[in-house]
Amino acid sequence: MSNSPQFFTYVEICNCTGLPKETLYKFIEREWICPDETQSDQKRLDDQDLARIHLILDLQRVFGANDEAIPVILHLLDQIYHLRSKIKKITES
Amino acid sequence: MPSNPYETLGVKSNASQEEIKNAYRKQAKRLHPDLNPGNKQAEAKFKEINGAYESVGTEEARAKYDRGESDAQAQAQAHAQQQEYARSRQGPYYSQTQSAGGQSRYQQPFEGMDEDIFSSLFGRGGGAWSGGGPQRAQDENYTMTIDFKDSILGVEKEISLPTGKRLRVKIPPGIESGKKLRFAAQSADGKGNLYVEIQVTPSETFTRVGDHLEIEIPISISEAILGAEIKVPTLDGSVMLKIPSSVSSGQKLRVAGKGVRDKGDQLVKIKIVSPPAKENAIDDELKASVEAWSRRHPFNPRETRGAT
Repeated sequence: MSNSPQFFTYVEICNCTGLPKETLYKFIEREWICPDETQSDQKRLDDQDLARIHLILDLQRVFGANDEAIPVILHLLDQIYHLRSKIKKITES
Repeated sequence: MPSNPYETLGVKSNASQEEIKNAYRKQAKRLHPDLNPGNKQAEAKFKEINGAYESVGTEEARAKYDRGESDAQAQAQAHAQQQEYARSRQGPYYSQTQSAGGQSRYQQPFEGMDEDIFSSLFGRGGGAWSGGGPQRAQDENYTMTIDFKDSILGVEKEISLPTGKRLRVKIPPGIESGKKLRFAAQSADGKGNLYVEIQVTPSETFTRVGDHLEIEIPISISEAILGAEIKVPTLDGSVMLKIPSSVSSGQKLRVAGKGVRDKGDQLVKIKIVSPPAKENAIDDELKASVEAWSRRHPFNPRETRGAT
């Protein structure tokens, strides 16, 4: 992630991914995608959310993951990335 | 870029739609950039098979492709499909957005979490994973202990935060214990503020009084009577201090500019110490001469206080 992430509105994200608005809302409702509530304007999704949406779509379409498996996969992935960055920091210091 | 999507997917041109889909999925699972972080080759190949799948993944697209297969138009079309995929799949892959470390909203719930994976997965909200969405920007607090000298003269230090991040902390001269330095937007997620509370180790020699430093210096009776020049420690080396004749205990002599940098002075509090009784330092000679002197020069320092 770059230091100054670019933020998008829900509409921009839908246009970019071809995702129907209802589906995006469903992703957010299920907390698969968590908009940045600290952003004051309507632009609450950034490039990591965009990438995460693509990942969810890949999980559904390519990997055949169902709606129950997706949050588990996302959670484990996030945990791996967290550990990865932890390890990176430890080895760097 | 290979122009034949069947070859790219590793299927025969007469393969069934189901076979194509299976071949695509098989390869995609292996090559997905989020399963191969940092592997550019896998990423390029993944894009390639996706482009190929766009070309022949559906009956409709495939029919279109097959119709024009023999001519250059088909190649151009396949290429266009691949371009189209690249366009629709804008932005980085998820793993690429998570590599910066410590900044991602999605990693934040794990910060400081030492439980095992399963308690984090199923422990919340009575069973189902409740998402653990990002919280509002959180401030972080740290404590830093510094020397008394550094607190008076100011110092610049680099500290390592538990997150591994290094932070340069400029401590202004004259900082007091308990004071918090604020670093805007320096928390692990980059949104909250980071506060460093300063704890100053007290000095055994100096006492701080506002911007001034106080030190108690013992002098002998003869130095108090005759005056002297003595060596006095300051925070940055010793200085020579002139003790005027007739100085009293408790009197404070000023050493300018040796307190809080650019602000305060050092005050030297005089403490007159009698010769030790133990070693018979107060002998008959001393007693006799003081007695003789006192008789001729009556002096009562308590007079002004109404005491006798």
